[in-house]
Amino acid sequence: MTTLLATPSTWPRILTAGFGATDPTDLDAAVAAGAFEGLTRAVRTHGPTGTIALLRASGLRGRGGGGFPTADKWDACAMAQGAVRHVVANGYESDPATHIARGLMEERPYAVVEGVAIAAFAVGATESYIAVRAEYGEAIRRLEAAVARAEAAGHIGANVLGSGRDIFVSVRPVRGAYMLGEETVLLKALEGKRGQPEQRPPYPSERGLWGRPTVVNDVVTLGAVGWIVANSADAYAAIGDPEAPGTTLVQVAGAIEEPGIAEVPTGTRLREIVDLAGQMASGHRLKAVVVGGPTGGILPPRELDTPYGYAALREVGAHVGSGSILVADERACVVDLATLLTRYCADEACGKTIPCRIGLRRLAEIGQRAASGHARPTDPALLADLSADIVASALCAHERAATNPLTSVLRYFRPELDEHLLRSACPAGVCHPIGVTPAGTAT
Amino acid sequence: MSRIPGMGIARGMSITLRRFFQPAVTIRYPEVTSPIPPKNRGRLQLLYDENGALKCETCFQCAQACPIECIDMGGVDTRGRYHIHWGPAETYGERREESALRRSGRPVADPAAERFAPIDLAPLDAILERHDHDPAELLAILEETQDAYGHLPVAALKHLSFRTAAPYALVYGTATYYRQFRLAPPADEAQAVAVAARRPTDASFLAALDASLGTGPRGTGAGAA
Ligand SMILES: Cc1cc2nc3c(=O)[nH]c(=O)nc-3n(C[C@H](O)[C@H](O)[C@H](O)COP(=O)(O)O)c2cc1C
Ligand code: SF4
Ligand code: FES
Repeated sequence: MTTLLATPSTWPRILTAGFGATDPTDLDAAVAAGAFEGLTRAVRTHGPTGTIALLRASGLRGRGGGGFPTADKWDACAMAQGAVRHVVANGYESDPATHIARGLMEERPYAVVEGVAIAAFAVGATESYIAVRAEYGEAIRRLEAAVARAEAAGHIGANVLGSGRDIFVSVRPVRGAYMLGEETVLLKALEGKRGQPEQRPPYPSERGLWGRPTVVNDVVTLGAVGWIVANSADAYAAIGDPEAPGTTLVQVAGAIEEPGIAEVPTGTRLREIVDLAGQMASGHRLKAVVVGGPTGGILPPRELDTPYGYAALREVGAHVGSGSILVADERACVVDLATLLTRYCADEACGKTIPCRIGLRRLAEIGQRAASGHARPTDPALLADLSADIVASALCAHERAATNPLTSVLRYFRPELDEHLLRSACPAGVCHPIGVTPAGTAT
Repeated sequence: MSRIPGMGIARGMSITLRRFFQPAVTIRYPEVTSPIPPKNRGRLQLLYDENGALKCETCFQCAQACPIECIDMGGVDTRGRYHIHWGPAETYGERREESALRRSGRPVADPAAERFAPIDLAPLDAILERHDHDPAELLAILEETQDAYGHLPVAALKHLSFRTAAPYALVYGTATYYRQFRLAPPADEAQAVAVAARRPTDASFLAALDASLGTGPRGTGAGAA
């Protein structure tokens, strides 16, 4: 069970409406609550191009981290050359500390299935896949049950609603590595190949699964599609930040009383989101928030007024990423934290390109030198240089974002970093810069 | 042997004289260089960094890209897991000494050879048969092979590559990319775990993250099963 944080009653609940139902796979209950209304309207009223136009008017952008306009992606796929198209819902959720997609897939399986079906209808795909992290057994079971029941009831399957269009959805468990969350890697995994990103363009919407035009969308993106078509584009566009409207799911965790996930309108200030999770743990003081998962930026309290949105977060050196917001109090050392995150990113990098294979490793080594008191005078300059080079030469978004933790420390926590670099001291008492690592400490 | 004394010298001198008036074939290197075919990449050589460590990370990219599979790798893979050898032993610097020893007739212990120990290929052949020897189903084949043998023996990967015509580098790259595969037999498991534990896998990453945040196990594990 995922803890759902209480949000103000004025905030819309689109994705989390119906969370906590006794049986989320109960089709009748789901239909009574509005499931498949969007699909019916898309088929009966709007047609494929109308559905894409409606989505464009709603302003929906991808919730997988990149924030790409969903309508543009669908349009590109619908326009691309090819007789066969596919839709792939990305339910891999690579960040091991985040459970947003799992929560949605477990609690609202029909919303995900309906989103996939609408996407398949709009772009003209017959076979669609929901790729779920294999460890998410319950989510897989519920999605499979939902697909089977929806097909038995005729919501999806052959000749949907008499439209003459077949929409088949299947659930595909995938497992193996962090990078499978990246869309081109996910497609490789579905094809049974070694998971390494591909140069884009061509985007998957032109050449995706088995070389066919493919829409890859986050399950959270697709989870909102049914609501948008069933209600209206304007209703959705009116929510949150006009640049990227709607609601999104975030997870607040770390040194906080009530960790959990919450549905927030885009553009909500970080402070408000953190406050949803209650007090800081036993009276500690907030020191930093890590926004975006392992590749997230580490932001100081004064940046908590940043609105939660793609552009605003990128501006301050973080990103939406996995939707995770980790709270750290003064017990944590930002250098240690950033090094740990960078190390993880380096270990998980696929190894295809030099910035990913060697660049991230060297970056993690700089962090490790600082944390262990072996820093060199040139390290801050090297860190800035190397990060800029990695960002400039990266093949996929992973290595670009993996520079966030250390560069944000360089940007916001310079005094604490300097203590490590110049005096071999750790103000938080976490690192062991004199090189003595007592048993049982993590580095 | 000529019978007339001095005949040999005279014949030799005549060749010298004739050559003397022919144009020279010497190329005045380095002022003048002879053309190099555009695809020549010179001699393959691995470089060392300033700490004396090999810069090659045994990532198999080059071996995978090489169209005629002339590149192959020996060493520890990127995740520090496996000691791998492929191709003739003489191509690896670390093995050259051994090879010299072996040529001298003395027996040499070769721990890497164990990885190539022959296995019963019947179960693998059955799996390959089921998948029609189709390299497009590599991932499924690997999963089933691991189920059948408990791990992925090098001999199985080799056979798999041979029978499906998928380049060995591709087979090896795929087998080591996905975390669920192991190339060491389960008897080696304790050691394999120890090697893996040096790097944060998901569980140890979360534990390290909680430790770094000072929150204990409940912080990031929020909502975890
Ligand atoms: C390292 C990395 C990890 C990613 N992990 C995920 C993930 O877990 N879930 C997801 O939906 N998208 C993930 N993405 C983004 C996908 O590549 C892709 O952009 C997304 O699924 C597209 O869906 P959207 O348009 O709905 O955002 C990841 C990207 C990168 C570079
Ligand atoms: S294996 Fe990888 S690191 Fe080594 S030489 Fe080939 S491409 Fe470079
Ligand atoms: S992680 Fe290897 S290219 Fe991005």
